[in-house]
Formats: sequence, C-alpha cells, structure tokens
Amino acid sequence: MDRLHLKSFLYRLLRRVPMPVLAILVGLLAGLGVWGVLEQVQGRALQKITQKELRSELDLRARESLSRFNQYVSNYESRVRLLASHRLLARHLTPQFWFAEERVEPRIYQQFRPDWLPDSRGQDALPGASHVLLVDTEGRIREVYHLGEEPLPVELAAGVPAQYLDPRAVRAVLTRLGDRPLLVVSDLTEDGRGFEMGSLVVLVPIDERFLAASQEGQFFERAPVALVDGDDQRILASVDPDLILPGTLVDVWKDDHLVTLQSLPGYEGTDWNVLFATFVSHDNVEKIARRVGHFERRQRVIAAVVFITVFTMVIYLVSARLNRVLKRMSRFAQRALDIEQPEFRAGANQLVLLEEWSQHFTQLVLRARDEMRRQHESAIRQSEALKAAIMEASLDSIVTLDRKGQIIDLNPAAEQILGGAREQVLGRGFSELFLPPGERERFDELLQAARRARVTGREPPARAELSARRSDGREIPMELSIVPLSLEAQVFYTLYLHDVTKRREAEREIKSLARIASESPNPILRVTPTGQVVYANAASGALLVAWGTRPGLDLPPEWAGEVGETLAAGQAREREAEVGGQVYSFLLAPVAELGYVNIYARDITEVRRAEQQSRQHQAELVHVCRLSTMGEVATGMAHEINQPLSAIVNYANGCTRRLQGGAGDSGALIEAMGQIATQAQRASEIIRRLRALVGKQPPVRNRVDLNHLVREVCSFVEFETSRMGLEVALDLATGELPVDVDLVQIEQVLLNLVRNALDALGDVAPESRRLVIRTRSTAGEAEVVVEDSGPGIAPARLPHLFDPFFTTKETGMGMGLPISQTILENHGGRVWAESPPAGGAVFHVRLPLAVEVTQFAVAGAA
Amino acid sequence: MTGEPVVFVVDDDEAMRNSLKWLIESTGMPVRTYGSADEFLANYYPGRAGCLLLDVRMPGMSGLELQGHLARHSIRLPVIIITGHGDVGMAVRAMKSGAVDFIEKPFDDEALLNSIRNALAFDERQRALQTQRAEIAARLAELTPREHEVMDMVTEGRSNKEIAIGLGVTAKTVEAHRARVMDKMRAGSLAELVRMALIASGEVDG
Repeated sequence: MDRLHLKSFLYRLLRRVPMPVLAILVGLLAGLGVWGVLEQVQGRALQKITQKELRSELDLRARESLSRFNQYVSNYESRVRLLASHRLLARHLTPQFWFAEERVEPRIYQQFRPDWLPDSRGQDALPGASHVLLVDTEGRIREVYHLGEEPLPVELAAGVPAQYLDPRAVRAVLTRLGDRPLLVVSDLTEDGRGFEMGSLVVLVPIDERFLAASQEGQFFERAPVALVDGDDQRILASVDPDLILPGTLVDVWKDDHLVTLQSLPGYEGTDWNVLFATFVSHDNVEKIARRVGHFERRQRVIAAVVFITVFTMVIYLVSARLNRVLKRMSRFAQRALDIEQPEFRAGANQLVLLEEWSQHFTQLVLRARDEMRRQHESAIRQSEALKAAIMEASLDSIVTLDRKGQIIDLNPAAEQILGGAREQVLGRGFSELFLPPGERERFDELLQAARRARVTGREPPARAELSARRSDGREIPMELSIVPLSLEAQVFYTLYLHDVTKRREAEREIKSLARIASESPNPILRVTPTGQVVYANAASGALLVAWGTRPGLDLPPEWAGEVGETLAAGQAREREAEVGGQVYSFLLAPVAELGYVNIYARDITEVRRAEQQSRQHQAELVHVCRLSTMGEVATGMAHEINQPLSAIVNYANGCTRRLQGGAGDSGALIEAMGQIATQAQRASEIIRRLRALVGKQPPVRNRVDLNHLVREVCSFVEFETSRMGLEVALDLATGELPVDVDLVQIEQVLLNLVRNALDALGDVAPESRRLVIRTRSTAGEAEVVVEDSGPGIAPARLPHLFDPFFTTKETGMGMGLPISQTILENHGGRVWAESPPAGGAVFHVRLPLAVEVTQFAVAGAA
Repeated sequence: MTGEPVVFVVDDDEAMRNSLKWLIESTGMPVRTYGSADEFLANYYPGRAGCLLLDVRMPGMSGLELQGHLARHSIRLPVIIITGHGDVGMAVRAMKSGAVDFIEKPFDDEALLNSIRNALAFDERQRALQTQRAEIAARLAELTPREHEVMDMVTEGRSNKEIAIGLGVTAKTVEAHRARVMDKMRAGSLAELVRMALIASGEVDG
C-alpha cells in the first residue's frame, strides 16, 4: 500500500513539474553523477598521465638543453672557421714560412691582440676562450695568444696532437686537459696565396660561464645543466656552481632533483666519456604536476557545464515542441474524429500528458473505428442488396466473367436474352457460348483493352457494338461495355450487354429517311425564322452560291422575310422565282414544332426552257415543213416541166439547123414539129395535175385571239431578239381580237413580217433598233401593225414589194410577201406596206373580225 | 477499127433522147441513143471513138455510177453530163470524177454542140497519142539494152563524150550506138527522139 501511495504521489508530483524544469534538474543530477564518477576514475588516470607528462617534459627539457649546448658548440665552430679564413690571418701568414724544425719557440701574445685577429669583436667573437693558437701542419705551435692568465695546458706544450686537428675541415673536440674540461676547436688556415699553413686552434675551458652561455639563460634555475664524467659519475662543471657543486657525485643530487644524463656522441677525436646532465628539482616537478591537474579539472568543469546546458536546452526545446504537437494533435482529433478534446493543461509535464492523451485518443479512435465499421458493413449490406436488385431488375444483360473469360454470374435478363439457363452456363467460356466465331477475336481485344485501362488508371470502360449469338443460334446486335474490377488480386470483368436490335432498326430507318433529303437531286434547305440556313443538301450548292450564303449564314433579306411570314402563317406556300439565272419552283413548308422552315426547291429552268423551245420548235417545224414541202414540190415540178421543155427546145433547134443548112426532108421536120407539140402538151398536163393536187385541200379555220397570235409569234423570235439585244414593244389592243383563221398560216404571215423587220434591223446600229407591234380593231377588222426602225423601203420598190421573186435579201427567195398576200387574200384580209419619211418600214395586216364577237367573248369568259 | 466517132446519148426520157438525137444529127454526127446505162453497156464495145452524153438522173444505174464503171474498166470515152435545174451539186461531182463538161437543161444548142465537138476532138487526140505511144513502145522494144542506155543519156541532153565516159566506151562507139538508135526509132532529129522519149514515159498528153 505504501508503495502504491508513494507511486501515485510521485506520479502526481511528476505531473506538476513542467518539462524544462525537470530537464534542468535531471541535467544537473546527471552532471553531478558523471562528475563524481569521473573524479574517481580520473584521479588515477590523471596521476598516470601526470607522470607521463612529467617524464616527457623532463625529457624534452633535457633534449632542449643538450641541443642548445650542441648549438652553442657548433656556433663556436663557425666562429673559429670565420677567423681561420679571415683575410687578416691570411695576410699575416702570407710572408711566413715555417720550417719544419724540431723545436719551435712559439710567438706569444700576452697583452696584445695579435694582428691576425679581427679587431672589433676580438672579445665577443670568442667568448670564454682561454687561448688561440696558430699551429703548423705538423701540429707545432707557432703563435699563441693568451686571452686570460691561464697558462697553456701542459699536454699541448709539445704541440697539438693530431686528434684535435682535422686535415680537411673544422673540428671541435671535447677533451680534458690539465684536469679540466676543455673544448678544442680547430680549422685549417691558408696564406694569401692559398698555401696551406696549418690550423687555427681555439681552446675554450668548459666552465659555468660556458654552460651558462650555451643555455642562454633559459631554464637556468629550474633546470640547471652540468657536464658529468661518465666513468666516475662526478660532476665536472655546472652552470651554477652554487647550486650544483662541481666535483660532487651525481647521485648526491638525485634526492632533490631529477637528473637526466645524456651522452655527447657528436664530438669525435676523444675517448673521453663525458655526459650531459640536466637537473630538475622536485619542487619544479610537483609544480608542473599541479599545473597539469588544475588544467584537467578546469576542463572537466567546462565540459560538465556545457553538457548540462546542452542537455537542458535539448529537453526544453523538445518539451516546447511537444507542447505544440500536443495542441495540434488535440485540435486535429477534435476536428477529424469529432471527439472531445482530451484534457490538456499547459504548464504541466508534457510527456505525462502526452501519454495520458494518447491513451485517451486511442480509445476514442477505437470507438470511432468500431462505429465506422458498423456503418460501413451496413452500407455494404445495403449496397449489396441494391446491386442484387439492380441485377435482377436490369433490362440489360449483366454477365460477370473471371480472368479466363468464364461466366461466374449472370442476371435473369442475360439468361433470357442470351437464352442460356444459369446452371448450364456458369463456369463456361462466355465467348465460346454466346459469340459468333467472327466476333470472338474482337471480344478478346476488348477484354485486353479493358484490362489495360484498369492498369493505366481512370479510363472509360471499353465499349463496342458486336453481335451476340443466342443459344438458339440467332444473332442479335449488342452494345457491350466491359468494366474490369480487381478483387483480392483477382481480375473480374462485368459485361453489360444491351440489345440494340430495335435501336439499330430505328437508326437505319432514320438514316434512310435522312438520306432522302441529302440524296434529293433538288435543293432542300432548312432555315431558322431569322433566315439562317441550318441545313442544305448537296443539290442546293448552286442555289446557295446564287444567294451568296451557306449553311450557318443568312438568306437574302427578301427570302428571310418570306421564311418568317411562312412560319407565322403556319402554312406551306409555293413560289416561283429566278435565282442566279435559273428558274426555281419553291415550296416553303413550316416546321412549327421546331421553329424551322423547310425550303424545297426545284430547278424548273430546263422545264420552262424546254416548254419555250418546244413551242418555238413546233412553230419552226411547221414553217420548215411547209417550206420544204413547197421546195420539193417546186423542184419536182421544175424537173417535170423541164423535161418536155428541153425536148421542145432541142426539136426546135434541130429544125432550125436543118432548115438553115437546107438539109432535112419535110417529113422528118413535120415529125419533129409534132414532137414539139406533144412535149408542150405534156408540160401543160403536168401543170394541170399539180394544180389539181394543190386545190384538193379545204381551208382550215379556227377562232383565235389575234393578240394571242402576236404574243406567240414574239415568243418564236425571242431567241433572235434577245441575241440582238432588242425588246419587242407590244402595244396590243385591250380585250380580245377574235378572228377565224388558219392558225398556222396567219402565224406564218406574222412571223414573216417580224422576221423581215428583224432582218432590216440587223443593218442598223444596236442602240437605234426598235420594233413595235400594235394591234387594234377598226370597223369590223382587226389590224396588226409591224413597225421597225430599219433602213426602210425605197419609194421605187414599194409598188413591187409584193411581186413574186422580188427580194432585197441575198438569201431570200422573194416569195415571203407574195405568199403572205395570197394567204391573207384567202382569209379575206390584206397586207400593205408604208415607208414613212422619218425612216423605217411599217407593214399593216388586216383581217376581218369574227362575226359572233359577243358569243365568243361569253364562251371565252366561261 | 475505131471507125467514125459516134455521139452516145444515155437518157431515161425518150422525148429527151429523141430530141437530142434530132438536134445533134442536124450537124451530121452519128448518134446512138440508149434508155439506160445498162443498155449502153450492153451495146458499147471498148475502143469505139466518140463521146457520151449522160443524164445524171436516171432510174437503175445512175449517170455517176456509169461514169465510175467506165473509169474502172479504163474506157476513156469523154463524158458530158446533162443536168436538170438544181442538180448542179451532182454535176460537180461528175466533173470531179472525170467528166469533160456538163450541160444544163434546157439546152443552148450551140453550147451543147460545141461541147460535143470538143469532146470528140479530145477523144481523137487521146486515141492518136495512144497509137503513137504503142508505136514508140514497139520501136523501143527493138533497142538493145546498151542502145537503151545511150538513148536515155542522149535524151537527158548529154554529149557523146559524156556518154562515152559514163559508159566507159569510146566516143566512136557511142556515135555508132546513137546512129543505130536514131535509125531504129525512126527519128529524123534529136528533137524528135526526145519527144518520143517523153511520149513513151507518158509525160506528154499529145
């Protein structure tokens, strides 16, 4: 119980502490913990490190000291070398010649600097040197310069041993002469001519001054140095004789100092075992150790502070972030899942809150999910039921196929339309069962297409029209739509088959009906009330061109108005009009329910032209027929008469010749004369027969309106007048002018007069051509006047105008007017001509008016 | 053999035939009349001298057909066409197929008789030329091939020397040939020989 209490208490406590505070606390605790552990662990390690560090530091110092020493010695070498090759020395040596005597008394410079040593830096150039010697090649000392009071070591009295000299280069040797450590530096000297004279030797006692100079005051107190005899471990010289007493053993100093001994191998030419010692007092060592320790600790403190800071910062940032995330999540939960916001209090421990919240959230989500699943299942059940009902009720066949194209389900409509009982067709291939062989390949392609569409994504279902084969073998056109669906990694196809037999038929019917208009050879148009052409069949091309419109554009205003009126009237109307030189018969039929007007046009140009032409032809035929008959009769008659006449001429000429020649008996002559008479009689007989033939025909009389005849005749010559650009001016009497005539003959007469007039007008300029035809009734007679603006008739010719064979035309026979006159005389009429002074010719034709005028008029009116 | 030239009249109209016979006989020329082309062909034998007056308009074989028939049988009787009024077109066709003249009815007697005389003269000339041609042909047949060559070259107007070079013989030989040619052709002069050559080749109508 206590533990539980404690736990809940802790938990409550935890809840109240905000995360950043907690973070700092934990950071501090962790830092301290780490510190404590590290302190323990590092103490030992530190000591080890300190020792190592110390050792390495000492080594370093020792090496540095030695290297400084070596450097100093090598500097000394350089100086000696400089002096040995100095021009002063060379100049000094130039006049010298040293004989190789057994004994040589060296020249000694005591008080004065020799002239071969450079002046200014004599003291500085060779610090600490005791002697400077000039020795010859044999090592014998020739000149000595004492820099101090010390005498030349006795070992060198007899000369400088070869070990200190190098025959080729500078040499520095550490040696012990007169029981004192000594540096001997030698170098070759030459005189001004380059003749090798010997060596310059400098002796430098190694004492505290030398050592101090070599160390340049560095670490003087902390690390004094000394030279130690390697054999007896005795200090020979020290940098500070007060500190390190020369002559004592090294071991004496090891209590207070750390001593590092190093050999000096670099100085050849001596067998002396000399060591270089570096002393570091223990005080110094400890100081160093302490310093190292301090440094370490400081670093550790810095590390701990940085660690805590970073840790706290990170935790703080995370918690701040968490705060935001929490807020966002709660908002999201509220909105998305529509659940109440879990309790959330800022300023408390976010982690704990998050945990609580997530538990709460999970519960809510689970609840929501359960609810949704329930809804979903219910929806599925409903949709299943719905689908089943659709399947059952569908009028179209619905068949479901599996991946291999086998039927796995079909609705009753499919059973009925395709004629396959459900239990018989299930599991069998749809294509083999219900498709004619020719369609199977296409069906397979469709399936492929549907599958591809499924793979590639959202595409409309594959659709096609094909024939299906019922189980009884009858083929029916079907519209097929395939919808592929994937269920649990399996592919199914749902086929919707719609029987389009009736639709096909209807379509065909409609199409064939629609073709009527397009195939029509006559123009058919559909026009809106405003006159816009919405449809025009192929035959209406010419009409549209003439109207200057096309489908989508408007009709000319006149026709647009007509269309509007037709639609308003709601009744079809007919009209005949000339459009673009063609005569059309139009039928405008309103389509009230659609608000259109259908225009059916018929090009009747040809009909009208044919009518006119046939009339004209008929008339001309009559004319030609008559003329040709006349011509043939005339020709035949001429031949017939010509024969006897020729014979008569021949007989007569024969007689004449015989009588002229005096030859010929009278018997023969008489016979010839008889022949002449016979032939003359034959000719007369022919003429008689001919007249009898002509006289046989009875006259024809019909009652016609003379005005009508005039119009008819004008229509005969319409072609010619239009060609001449002439308009016949008709000035016809009002009312009818009934005459009893042989229609054809009178037409012939009028036509003859009009033709004559036209021929006359052919000779004048087109602009002054004029032809007027008047009709009128005067005193029981009907009169036709044909008046032209031609050249007129010469007065001299006027009386002979109606004589046979009188013609002014090149092609004329001269029979037109006489025949006309004869015809008119036969009709009780007459014809005469006038040529007014103003010009032109006027022909008058008079015919008696029919007797029963009123009766005729009544009959005509009836 | 050919005898006196005769005027043959073919017309279907008897009055016409007889009146023509009456008229033409007034000049003393013998006249034979036939009522149809067939009758004429049945009685005519080729070679008879004379001319033919032919009516173009006849039942049976028409005048034009008869003309064609004569031409096909190489009967070179001159033909005068008689036409009525309006048969001019037919007359032109007849003239094109070789008629010498055409006369329109009714006849101007002088014109008709002149035409007949011309036709007869033409016929006589033709016949004379024919005879001459036959004679020349007979004489030519007597020439040797080499003489033919010489004659051809002479009539082309070449000199004896040219001929000699052309034939590769001496001028003397040519001279001899030439003399023989003149002799055989019975030509009195070179001009006569040339004329004979032209007649023989048909280049001269006489």
